[in-house]
Amino acid sequence: MKKKDFIQKLAEYCEFENTKLAIDTPLKSIEGYDSLAIMSMIAFIDENFNVKVSDKEIESLTDLNSLIELIGEEKFD
Amino acid sequence: MGTQILQISTYLPHKVLSNQELSTEFNRWEPEKIENKLGVKERHVSGNTETAADLAYNAAIKVLETFDKEKIDMLILCTQSPDYFLPTTACVLQERLSLRTDIGAFDFNLGCSGYIYGLAMAKSFINTNIAKNVLLITAETYTKHINPNDLANRTIFGDAAAATIIDQSDSEHIFEFVLGTDGKGKDNLIVPNGCFRNKYEINPVIKVTNAGDKYTDNDLFMNGPEIFNFTIEKVPVVVNKCLEKNFLTIDDIDYFVFHQANKFMIEYLRKKIRIPKEKFYNNLLETGNTVSSTIPIAISDLIKNKVIAKGSKVLLCGFGVGYSWGAVIIEL
Repeated sequence: MKKKDFIQKLAEYCEFENTKLAIDTPLKSIEGYDSLAIMSMIAFIDENFNVKVSDKEIESLTDLNSLIELIGEEKFD
Repeated sequence: MGTQILQISTYLPHKVLSNQELSTEFNRWEPEKIENKLGVKERHVSGNTETAADLAYNAAIKVLETFDKEKIDMLILCTQSPDYFLPTTACVLQERLSLRTDIGAFDFNLGCSGYIYGLAMAKSFINTNIAKNVLLITAETYTKHINPNDLANRTIFGDAAAATIIDQSDSEHIFEFVLGTDGKGKDNLIVPNGCFRNKYEINPVIKVTNAGDKYTDNDLFMNGPEIFNFTIEKVPVVVNKCLEKNFLTIDDIDYFVFHQANKFMIEYLRKKIRIPKEKFYNNLLETGNTVSSTIPIAISDLIKNKVIAKGSKVLLCGFGVGYSWGAVIIEL
């Protein structure tokens, strides 16, 4: 998956209200980044990458780049 | 000889809490967002003086309207909201329901997996000739464990009870079980204070989640992401193990009833396990997550709406607090 597509699909899946996200947009500044969105995010990453992200890892995330690093750069085109 | 689920009655407390009321109180989540994502529109909340035993009593008298209570020779109550440390709530209920005194009665403390374990015990008691007609009650008032300022948990959970009669039958209708436990998840769904490890605190520290929900160690705490991770890892394995143990496949099962945790989670599990949508229950619209009662409420609803009937094979799977999980296939 391309990083650009990842960001767009994730935003749709998690129903972020502002879908114009950049890779360095701080997660906590995203409208709709709440516990419901986090549940969706876990599902999205499980479904597409077969990667499990823990509560602590989610806590440590700053932006989508840090999420990509967590999933593994090698899994992106 | 074998065992079967003969009948189920359910009971919901009268007081209803709607998404609109929560939305007005917290001004955070739109009612539609809650309904679309979690699948809950409203939940029932027990009154201040109404306990799980009261809900259990009401569910039981309903099921005993059509079953001779003199025949009940074992009462099992699943609850994590007992009336007292002691005596056991089931003993109190034996007297309130005017059941015979030459019967067994006891509680067991499990949450979302409780109904499966209750069925396992009922089947065992009957097949070993310890009892003939078991009254299994699930009754929970999680709303009493939740801090009033905790929107997330107040949104998800509702109170309810269900009473099930399991009796002898000519052939076995409660098939093979798969049970499991992993106590490493104990801190992810817990009421830390109130028993003897940590006593109830008069002035507890108020904690705040990232989302702004407030709670203390006297209250129910749920680590949503970790519970979700546990569920998506464990449930597909348990369901497949249960099918294997019974020498059945997804195609052989008429309907799948999982613990109704929330709509999104259940739907994700369905897709992950590749269960056809038309054979899968996903409805907690008017009840919320009622812990150990979601499965009997679902079976009762499916029977009432004639979606399943005599002869239907239904796979049941409960999972949650503990961690604890279990699955079984029943034939109505």
